Amino acid sequence: MAREATYRFDVFTTVGSFVVRVYLLRMVWTALYAHNAAPKDLSRHEIITYSTVALLMGIVMDIDQTRALNDKLRDGSIATDFMKPINVPLYFFADGTGEVLFHAALLVPSVLIALLIFHIIVPGPAVLAAFLLSFFLGYLVGFFLNFILNCTSFWTLEISAVQLIVTWLTDLLGGELIPLILFPAVLQQFIYVLPFAAMFSTPLLIYVGQIPPARYGEVMGLQLLWIVVLGAVSAVMWRAGARRVVVQGG
Amino acid sequence: MAIIEAADLRKVFRRIVRQPGIAGAIGALFSREYEDKVAVDDVSFSLAEGELVGYLGPNGAGKSTTIKMLTGILVPTSGLLRVAGIVPSAHRQANAQNIGVVFGQRSQLYWDLPLRESFELLRSIYDVPRDRYLQNMRHFAEILDLERFLDTPVRQLSLGERMRGDFAAAMLHDPKIVYLDEPTIGLDVVAKEAIRVFIGQINRERGTTVILTTHDLADVERLTPRIILIDEGRVIYDGALERLRTEYGTHRILVVTTVDLPPEDFAVPGAVVEGRENNVVRLGFDRRSLTAEALIRRVLERYAISDVSIIEPDIDTIVRRIYLEGYQKDAVGAPS
Amino acid sequence: MQTRRMANVYRQYWRINILTTLEYRENFLIWFLFTFIYHGTAIASLWIVLERFPSMNGWNFRDMFFLYALWMVAHALHNTFFSTVGEIPDHIRDGEFDRLLVRPLDTLFQAIATPGQVFPDELVLALITFVAATLYSGVHVDAVFIIFVPLIVIGGALIDLGLNLIISTAAFWFVKVDALRWIFIQLEQEFTRYPLSIYSRSVRLLLTFVFPFAFMNYFPASYFLHKHEAALGVPPAAGLLTPVIGIVFVALAYVFWRFGLNRYQGVGH
Repeated sequence: MAREATYRFDVFTTVGSFVVRVYLLRMVWTALYAHNAAPKDLSRHEIITYSTVALLMGIVMDIDQTRALNDKLRDGSIATDFMKPINVPLYFFADGTGEVLFHAALLVPSVLIALLIFHIIVPGPAVLAAFLLSFFLGYLVGFFLNFILNCTSFWTLEISAVQLIVTWLTDLLGGELIPLILFPAVLQQFIYVLPFAAMFSTPLLIYVGQIPPARYGEVMGLQLLWIVVLGAVSAVMWRAGARRVVVQGG
Repeated sequence: MAIIEAADLRKVFRRIVRQPGIAGAIGALFSREYEDKVAVDDVSFSLAEGELVGYLGPNGAGKSTTIKMLTGILVPTSGLLRVAGIVPSAHRQANAQNIGVVFGQRSQLYWDLPLRESFELLRSIYDVPRDRYLQNMRHFAEILDLERFLDTPVRQLSLGERMRGDFAAAMLHDPKIVYLDEPTIGLDVVAKEAIRVFIGQINRERGTTVILTTHDLADVERLTPRIILIDEGRVIYDGALERLRTEYGTHRILVVTTVDLPPEDFAVPGAVVEGRENNVVRLGFDRRSLTAEALIRRVLERYAISDVSIIEPDIDTIVRRIYLEGYQKDAVGAPS
Repeated sequence: MQTRRMANVYRQYWRINILTTLEYRENFLIWFLFTFIYHGTAIASLWIVLERFPSMNGWNFRDMFFLYALWMVAHALHNTFFSTVGEIPDHIRDGEFDRLLVRPLDTLFQAIATPGQVFPDELVLALITFVAATLYSGVHVDAVFIIFVPLIVIGGALIDLGLNLIISTAAFWFVKVDALRWIFIQLEQEFTRYPLSIYSRSVRLLLTFVFPFAFMNYFPASYFLHKHEAALGVPPAAGLLTPVIGIVFVALAYVFWRFGLNRYQGVGH
């Protein structure tokens, strides 16, 4: 009953907020395109599509699948998990999957709204397939980033503010709010040194055709590289943290 | 002169009856069906200044609804209520100055700060004069042994220490009346005793009127000569605790230790075997129809015994019995 | 008599707030960083967009920075002095609200003066930002500006308070009001960042007459920056009306609050 109420609340806020934010971004881009010279190869319709798809991705991407790790470290129940005959990191991955699937289900009405009310562009099947693959890679980058953040709670417990800060930085520097190609040149130089672009920007630019098929291999290779790097950092942090729990008893 | 006067106090909660589902929710917009629940049903009582009264009843009997009306939190549906000459719901803030409230499960102390800071804030809220405040603090520090942890953050206090702090907090402004809602809940034996001593002392030395609601009948036995029993919104008993005991505590148990192992068909006329273990047999009997002396004699006529003792009913048993059976004046021939 | 008592309580309230904040120094630092980055990314987003598109309905980055800073001061003022109003639904849910009713002071005042980890960090940050935005935007600082800006900021904080109080009052009827609060916070924080003229007519009407957020920053900023957009045909000087709007909005919210409180005392919860 309480769970059902929470879900209803989630549906209401997630879909409601999606509609409100798409409306807002539409108005903002419309005003900007009306009074300025448009960038040569990104039309108003394309950028509105970009923002809408970015918000759709956000419905799934903004979930912290490994939050249970932080919770369990806080209340000390992590120690009992180490006694169970399970692969603990895998367990956390599976634990968050339910929530991810729930939000993935919310994508259905949201996509319908996006298609019917906001008339977004739908690319051809090849591009769409590339987008979905790149989206999945971006999702993994986000997963490891969250996992690393949650692993820091092995050493310090007050991480909720830090997580929110990282979320905003992701929104901005990952290109969820503003396409990275529109950023001033000064900023562009170091944006690509950070992993955030691999989460949102790459799949989105594939979707709107800013990244041509010839460059798919290159950009997805970069995404894969981030997955490997962040995955390795996650593994190291997990081992160190787990040893800390086992040796010091939590 | 009565300090609290309640006459035909009544509180009815009206709730919208809603059919389940979305259709029901939409239906409720057009036609509304109400369901009345009588939480307090024509309750009348009066308390003299300086009395200490236990207000008892099972969960949902209407205890806390009554207390909420007395404190001015809830407005009565009908009936008259005067607390220290004030109608609480009409002059809630004036009434608040006269009363102190302790909710056993909820602290009014500030979690993160030393106990002393909470007292300072309450001093401002109740506008207690400085010298009076210091005098009270000295007094409470002495009888509640507060000095030791006055500068400790409340979150680090034990439940018993926190409770003592809450008591002092409720008494700082010299209220004429204090309402204590489950004041000893969750406390260990020592802490319970300290709280009981304090309640008795406040009542005696300051003449504070005390209304105590509790589930722990030991509190009542120890403290309140008068109890008001409430069930399903109605007062079912109002009077001395002792009288309840004589009227309802009619069931006693004679514990007999036999010399030899008692036979399977062990029986004594007028008594019921309520339990047996090795050589010990428990015989239940009614004090009104049989004296203990007569019963012992009957046992001796039949069996060889080495020891006897009598268990008197405790107040818990008596009150449980009243909740279950209802208080029937006629059944026990009580004076009206 | 009551006023003197309230003044005493309010002084104590701030004393306790400061003591609590000092007790949790690390938390305070982290949350200060949080506030800093929140507003920082918001302003950075505006800068990035307006670097590429220099004008939004005739507003450049300097104008938009001033628009944001004006909202930020009012909002921070509200957060510093009235954010506790947002905790009323929690008090109602866990029964703490009854405690406020058995004390000899106004209930809403007590709710406002419930101590916690409140510290004027956001306000300090907002004031610095506002001074910077004023200098940067080249607003003509004259007597009208100096007299009216404090009043407008207070009026804006009152508009925020009104909204906060209305949502909290809803908790007398509904157990959870978080979704409601969440939607309105978003409506306010994101829609006040841009000139009202970019929205469709219904949204403009909503933000002017129903939930008057446009009076927190858009109308006053239009006046000071001499933007004569006449959105909704409102004359530019309407921007100076914010204090009045704030008082009226809070008064309406207070009437609703009294209504809800009476209901609570009548039917319980």
